[in-house]
Order: sequence, then C-alpha cells, then structure tokens
Amino acid sequence: MNRFIFKMAWRETRGAWRHFLYFFACIAIGVGALVGVSLFGTNMERAVTREARGLLGGDLEIRLTRPLSLAGQAVLNSLGERHMVFTHVSELVAMAARANPGPVMTQSTQIIELKAVESAYPLYGAIRLDSTHALDVLLHPNEGRCDGHPCFGAVVQESLLIRMGLSVGDRLKIGHAMFLITGIVRTEPDRMANAFTLGPRVMIAQEGLLAAELIKPGSRVRERYLVKTPPDMPLDPLLSELRDRLAADSARVSSYRTAQSQLKQFLEQLSRYLGLIGLTALFIGGLGVGTSIHAFLRDKLRTIATLKAVGADSATVVSTYVVQAIFLGSVGSLAGIVLGIALERGLPPLAAALFASDLLDQLGVSSELSQSSIWPLLKGALLGLLSTLLFTLWPLLKIRDIHPGAIFRRDAEQATVEREAASPRWWVRWGFTDRWNVGTAGVIILGLCALSVWQAGSWPIGLLFIGAISLAITILFVCAQVFVRGLAWMPLPRVLSLRYALGNVVRPGSQATGIMVAIGIGVMVIVTVSLVEQALLRQIQEHRPADAPTFFFIDIQPDQAQEFVSLVDRQAGQAHPELTPLVRSRLHAIDGHVVTVEEGGEKDDKRAEGKEERGKQWYFTREYVLTFLDQLPKDNTLVKGEWWKPGQVFSTPQVSVEEDAAMHLGLAIGSTVEFDIQGSTVSAEVSSIRKVEWGNFSTNFYMILSPGSIAGAPFTYVGTVRVSAEHEVPLQQAIVASFPNISAIHIGDVLDGFARVLDRLSLAIRAVALFCVVAGGLVMAAALAATRYRRLYESVILKALGATRSLIARAFAMEYALLGAVAGLIGLTLGSVLAWALVRYVFDLPWTIHPQVLGIGLLLTMLLTLIVGFASTYRILGQRPLAVLRHE
Amino acid sequence: MISLSHLTMRLAGGGHQITILDDLTIEIPDKQRVAIVGPSGSGKSTLLGLIAGLDRPTSGSITLNGVEISTMRESALARFRRDHIGYIFQSFHLIPTLTALENVLVPLELAGMRSAQDRATELLQTVGLGERLHHYPVQLSGGEQQRVAVARAFACHPPILLADEPTGNLDSATGQHVMQLLHSLHRDYGTTLVLVTHDRAIASSMERVIALRDGRIESDRLSDSDHRVAESSL
Repeated sequence: MNRFIFKMAWRETRGAWRHFLYFFACIAIGVGALVGVSLFGTNMERAVTREARGLLGGDLEIRLTRPLSLAGQAVLNSLGERHMVFTHVSELVAMAARANPGPVMTQSTQIIELKAVESAYPLYGAIRLDSTHALDVLLHPNEGRCDGHPCFGAVVQESLLIRMGLSVGDRLKIGHAMFLITGIVRTEPDRMANAFTLGPRVMIAQEGLLAAELIKPGSRVRERYLVKTPPDMPLDPLLSELRDRLAADSARVSSYRTAQSQLKQFLEQLSRYLGLIGLTALFIGGLGVGTSIHAFLRDKLRTIATLKAVGADSATVVSTYVVQAIFLGSVGSLAGIVLGIALERGLPPLAAALFASDLLDQLGVSSELSQSSIWPLLKGALLGLLSTLLFTLWPLLKIRDIHPGAIFRRDAEQATVEREAASPRWWVRWGFTDRWNVGTAGVIILGLCALSVWQAGSWPIGLLFIGAISLAITILFVCAQVFVRGLAWMPLPRVLSLRYALGNVVRPGSQATGIMVAIGIGVMVIVTVSLVEQALLRQIQEHRPADAPTFFFIDIQPDQAQEFVSLVDRQAGQAHPELTPLVRSRLHAIDGHVVTVEEGGEKDDKRAEGKEERGKQWYFTREYVLTFLDQLPKDNTLVKGEWWKPGQVFSTPQVSVEEDAAMHLGLAIGSTVEFDIQGSTVSAEVSSIRKVEWGNFSTNFYMILSPGSIAGAPFTYVGTVRVSAEHEVPLQQAIVASFPNISAIHIGDVLDGFARVLDRLSLAIRAVALFCVVAGGLVMAAALAATRYRRLYESVILKALGATRSLIARAFAMEYALLGAVAGLIGLTLGSVLAWALVRYVFDLPWTIHPQVLGIGLLLTMLLTLIVGFASTYRILGQRPLAVLRHE
Repeated sequence: MISLSHLTMRLAGGGHQITILDDLTIEIPDKQRVAIVGPSGSGKSTLLGLIAGLDRPTSGSITLNGVEISTMRESALARFRRDHIGYIFQSFHLIPTLTALENVLVPLELAGMRSAQDRATELLQTVGLGERLHHYPVQLSGGEQQRVAVARAFACHPPILLADEPTGNLDSATGQHVMQLLHSLHRDYGTTLVLVTHDRAIASSMERVIALRDGRIESDRLSDSDHRVAESSL
C-alpha cells in the first residue's frame, strides 16, 4: 500500500508541474526571505565570534572615563611582569582645523572622533590603511617632513579629507598641536557597528594627544587599556582580580567573550525581527499554497472519486496527496534556499550602508556557504516544508468528503458545499462536528504556533507574533467578507463590464476574500514600517522646537567660560549662550547599599534573559552626567517633592531624579544616593522626582544636584548656542581658533546622521517586507489560476454572444482594481492603526496622518493587483470561443 | 450472489424528494449475465452504483457474496470493492494524468500485487492495447479508452463485473468488440456480469434482462439467446 501512495503521488505530480508553479513560488518566496535573513545573521555572528578579540582590541579591556590614577598605572605595570602585554588607547571627540585656508565650499573646522594609540596597537586584528607603511610609522613621521619642527602624524578617515578639502601630506591642527596627515584609515578592528558617529575618525599617537593638550580635568574622554594575555592564562580570575584592584578608578573590566554582546544582541534582534517578517511572507505564501491545493483537488475530483471507485480508501488517497504536498513543498523549499542565498548576497551591501562603516569587510563577513550555513538552510527548508503541510492539511482533509458516487454527478462538490453551507451553525458549516476536522485544526494551530516560536527563538515573542498575525488575518477576513456581502446587496450596475466585474467578486466560489486577505497583510506590514519611519523622521527633522540650539559646545573649562560667552556674543551678535555645568559620575551606593557592577561578566546570558532586567541594570551601571542648577529646567515637571528655593542652603546636598531612573533605581523622596565623582564620593538626598521631555533638543539630566553640592569637583560646561545659519561657520571657526579643546557639535548634522541611519534601517526592513507583498501577489496569482477555467469558459460564452475583447479586458481590470483598492484600504487602515500604536506607545511620539504614504500605498496596491491579474489571465482574452466550447 | 432487498433510493432536488429506486428486490446468482434496461431516469445507473457501493441507499439492503455492504464503513467498502467488484463506466473515467498501463496498475497496486506490472501489461495485451501501454487517455480513441477501463475493472479478477453502458459512447463496431471482451471474461473466469444498457441487441445477448421504469421493476426475464451469444464470442 505504501508503495502505491508514493507511486501515485509521483504520477499525480509528474504531469502537473505547471499547476504547481504558484505553489512553488509561494513557498520559495517565504523560505527565501527566511534563509536570506538567517544566513546573513549566522555569517555576521560567526564573524563577530571569530573576531571577538579584535573587536574588543584584546583579551581584556579596562575602560575608564578619566585618566588612570598612579595606583591604577602600577596595577597595569604589574601585568607586564606576568608576561602580559597592554596598550593604551584614548578616544574623545575633538575639533580639527585646517592649518591653511582651504578651497571655497570646504570646511576649515570639523568635529572629529579622535583616537590616540601606542605602538603596540592593535594587539589583535588588523588595521586597514591606504598605505604600505605601518601605523606606528605613519603616526611618527620624520621631522624633515614638518620643516624641522617636532610634528606628529595622523591617519584620517577619507571623509575628513573630502569635507575639509585636504589630502595626504597636508597639515591639520588639533588642540594645540599640528599634525601631518600621513595616511587614510579604512577600518579599525575595535571600532564596531557604529551606526552613528559624531565625525570622521582621526588617529594619532599618544604623544600627539599629550601635545594637543586636549584632556583637561572633567574632559569627556574614554581611556581604554587593552590587555593581551598568554594563551594558557585563564581569564576569569584575572578579570575578578583587575576589577577588585581597579575599583578605586571606577574602571570597567571586560573580556572578549562577553564584551561584544551588545553587538551580538543588536544582530540577533535585527535577524529575529527580519526573520519574523520573513515568516509573515511564508505564512502569506501558505495561503497561496492552500489556494493552489484547493484548486488542484477540485480539478482532481473525478480522479479521487475514480480512485475510490476502484478500491482506494480515504486514508490512502489523503496520504497520496499529503506525500505529493510534501514533495512539492520540498521542491519549493529548495527553490527558496536558492533564492535565500541570492538574497543573502544582496543583503551585505544594504547592511554595509546600515552600519555606515566597512564593518562587514572588516569582520571578514563572507557570503560564501560554509559548514555553519547548513543549519540556516536546513531550518529554512524545514520551515518551508512544515508550513506547506500545515497549510495543505485542511484542504486535503476534504478528500474524505469526496464520495465515489461523485463520479456520476457533475457538481458533486458544489452539492457537498451547499449541504454544509446550509447549516445555520458555523461549526457545522466549518466541519467542526467531525473529530478529524477538529483534530486537524488543532494540529494546524499548534503547528503554526510552534513555527512562530521556533523562528522567534522566544515563547512570548513567537506567541505574540502568531497572535498578532492571526488577529490581522481575522480582521482582514471579516472586512473582506463584509465588503463582498455588502456588494452582493447592492443593485447591479447597468454597465455590463462593471456588472461582470462585480459578479466575479461576489459569486459563490469567488477567491476575492482570500486575495484581499493576502494582499492586505503585505500592504499592512510595509505601510506600518513606512509610517513609523515617517513619524520618526518627522520627529527628528521637523519637530525641532523653534528655540532648539544650533550648537552644543562641550568640554568648556571653568576658566574659559566667561571668555567663551563673550566670544560667542561678539561673533553671533548677542546669542547669549547658555552654559550648564556638568560632571561625570557613577552610582556608588543607594541608601547605604553599595552598587555592584556585574558587567561584561559571566552573567551575561542571564542578563540577556529579560529586557526589563537589562534596562534596570543599565540604570545602575551607566555613567551619570550630573549638574547643579538653581532653576528647574524648561520641559521638566515635578512629579513628587519640591524644587529648592533660590539661595537655599542644605546641610546634605539635594538631588532631583528623573522619574524612570527613580523607578528603576528604587528611589523615593528622602532616599540617599552616593555618587562616585572622579574618585571622591558625594552623598545626596532625593528631594524631588521629575518628568523630563527628552525630545526638546536641550541639555537634559537624570540627576540634578542642588547648587554648591559639588564645589571643587572637576566640572566642565556645556554651552548651547542658537545662531542664524550665516553665523554658524564663522562662530565654529572662531571657537576652535580660540579654544582648541572645545568641541562644537552641530545639532543639524547629528540629526541628519540619525535620519540617515534610520532611513537605512528602514530600507533593510522594507526590503524584507517587500517579500510579504510579493507573496500576496503570488497568492492572488494562485487564486486567479484556480478560477482560470471558469473565467475562460465565461469569456468565450460572452464573446460568442457578441462581447468584444476590450469589454472583457475592462471587466477584468475593474475587478482587479477593485480587489486592489479594497485590500489596499483595509491593509492601509490596519497598517495605520498598528503604526499609530507603535508611534504612540512604543516611541512615545505624536502621531500624524501621512496622506502621501497612504495615497501612494493605495495606488501601488491597485497597480500590483492589476499587473498580477492581467499577467495571470491575459491569455484568456485571446481565446477563440469555438476552440474552447468544442471541448465542453 | 448479489442480493438486493427492498432497495429504495431518494435524492433531494428542487426542494422536494425524488424517488430514484422504489423498493426493489432482486437476486442475481453467481456467474449470471444480467442486463438492466429501461428508459432514461428509470434508475439503472443508480442501481448499478448502489450494487458497487459507490453510493448508499436510502433504505434496504445490498448483500454481495453474503456480505452486507450497505452498512459498511467507507474504508472497508473501498477495500471490498477492490477485491470483489470491477466497474466499467460509460464515460470510462480513466485518470487523465496516468498512462494506460498506470491506470490498470492502480487497482493492482492498491491490492499490493507483486507482479502488478506484468499483470497489467498482459491485461492490456489481452484487450488489444499492447502497443498503447504508455499512451495517456487523451491519446487514445473512445474504444481504446473503454478497453483500458475494462482491463482496469478486471485487473484483480473480481467475481462481480458491473458495466454502466459500456458501449454507450462507442461506435457499433467498437462496442461489439468491447462486448466480446466482456463475454469472454465471463466465460473464462466465471464472472458475474451485470450491465446497464439501452442497446436491445446487447440486452438480448445476456442471460437475464431486468427492465426498470420509474425506479420499479417492470419485467425480469431469462433470455434464451445466451447459447447463441456464447458461441459467437468464441
């Protein structure tokens, strides 16, 4: 019997390849999206794991936000005695200026991301330079090249040269020192996934940084000490030892095994959400598979009845077609794998744009298939195969209802359908009085949940996904049904082509509902992504308050403040810069309990378990920029407690805490917070809790201390200045010339940078979401193919009665445009609601309707249904009536 | 032995019930050749379908070789059909996606026969289609298709062969050839042969002729021509 099933399945497939083209395509498109995303994720993760030491810069990294103390330096020196190698890297934001005036249209000053290194850098990985010389040679050029003056070399990112109109060999002023540009840096092993940078990279030697005199007390700097250990040395004891010994420096010590977890998390999340969009495409494709199989079985009614008449029982026939579906699903999945590999080759350029760096190149991410590619390919094939089974089981189960007596009756299936449809009870109509049907429905639901959870890699996300997609399908289905039924109630139009078009939508056995659901979901996904992106871009680009500053000037030393203000006023005509004092700190203790830093450690996996927990951890371990202010800043509202009165003096410093921070840190009015400010501890009592409007483009703080709390602490000022466009460049140049250590951050450039990153991220999501739309188009094509013969027969009858080809074409066009319009409208509405919910509740932004996105979406949907519709049925138009009717 | 007792078949149509067969009681002994005749709508094909278990009667019982089939479950009925009944349709009902050989193979493979391929080839050679084994139904003439259908119906040597107007869609020469084939199968294997026909000549070539009208038996008589036909088929 088994052999018969396999033989029969093959025979049934052999001659019907053409019928299954949409079947293959529907599975292939979903599997392709999943495999493409999954391969990309795997290759990235493999590269990140392989390059883990290079990404950190060493086996261990010690990170501080201020220069290392002498005691700390002694700890590091002791490492050398234990056969360890370490190197010092300093990273900070600074301003670079041209040594000589440059060509018009180029900038004479530019904010840069400065990195000072020692000769041993990099300990791991390679730095890619556009030069045959080693980095150390480039950073220490021969004095002869600087007209005999002591000079330092700098290798820079090419974008700096373009922006400032410089070339290799020119000179650059950074701080108080002059640097000779000796080369171009392409990639650094430890500069990763910088989705956003404040400016181009400039690399100099530590001696150069010293000469530039940029680092002042309280300056914003990241000091990194990279450590290379002997290969056989266990890292964990060393990690604990260094954390203990460097605790006084508030140093963070992490190992290469866990340090890149943030990058990994980002990649994992990106892959996960793109994968879920891929799964949506697969599920939409599944609707097409179900439609194809349903249509196939309707054509096979007589064959099935004949098989039963010659002695095949239902189980045998159902098994035959299940085997056939598995076979077809396998072929579709294989095609999907090929498509996925092609997609994965196309994704890296997109991803490269996304990361705004040569990250992929740097990591050596390759699109070549390897052993680790097997699992993504296998998983894609399995997902394709299982979803084929799940989406074909229900139509295949109907085989049991085909009676061998159907062989005598032309419309046996119709009769069966009508008998079931006649029942007023929906569960009878849907066949839920039969235990096989109930069991199969259960298997399908459980199976779809399992696939979602598997792909999401998480129970809650998987179940949320399947819940959301089920809800969306249900709403689309109900809306489509209401539309079709409403149309049936409408009086028939007089125009024949319109009447025929509407008739095709409302007639029994019409596939209109399925088409609208499939197209609608694709539209919904892509519209949601577009609308959320629009809302975010709008927030970034247009919602800037009228009084938003033009520049943030950072690292203003206390002794520079007065001169800085008068310079700005002179340059920009009474711009009245606002100076805010700030000092960097970490939490030392809360209510007497010392905060322990469990960073970069062995608990990483546990930390990754809950977003909530990670968020909480972030509040405890982050660096807090403190300020002391007389007045409650604008856009801040007190939630609890009271703001101090002007001139009020406290025995214990008071602190006002932002409400989210207070919640996560468990702070209430009267709680005590101890801050570690550059090695000394300051204790403050919580006197108020504030709500902050973070999107106001001003300086906002989690913690604000009462005036006088941190007298003597190494604070700097940040200056916010609002100037007109014509004053921007002169002001920036004047500040850099007078105060080389002050950096000017241009808000417009920063926001443009964010907008670019957002646009790229959105592009990647839309690229995968496009698969959902294509899958929707394929479902429509499959559904139209299912009704092809009926359309053919009716069109030749119409022709025989005198209808012209153009009349039939018009009727088809109206039908397809109508389907597109309704599917588009439902999809757009659902997408808008979803986007509104995301924008309002996840991003906490105001919502506005974007008529242009909705209008374009609707037009494109109608265009899609018209193209798919005519591509599927244009051949019908040319058929001669007699040739068709002769076979009837 | 085919035994029908108080067989009634009603179908719903146009808002009221139509009685197709009305309280029929018939017994057909083994190896008998029976023709069922009657005007269109008299219930001939329905009767044959019910004997084959292709549909269920509204009431009454159908017993084939001592087995009551009207109450059998669908799967059991399918297996019973496979082992005991061969059925030839007026419209052949070959599976269009299978070749002639594969169509004949279906019941043999369903029965799990080991030398199914040889047996199917031999059967097709017997019906004169040895050269057409790998042709699809659309590539065969009506007569050839019906011969494939005969070969398929007889593939498992069923003790009962039912034929619904086996020559209805064929020209007279081809029809005669198919009838000779059926007679020779009956003669060689002792198969009980029940066929529905409009053709008086075919009916008169059978041992027994049951005439139906409006779902009831109008006449049931033994024919005296069976010897003549048997001789001519030799």
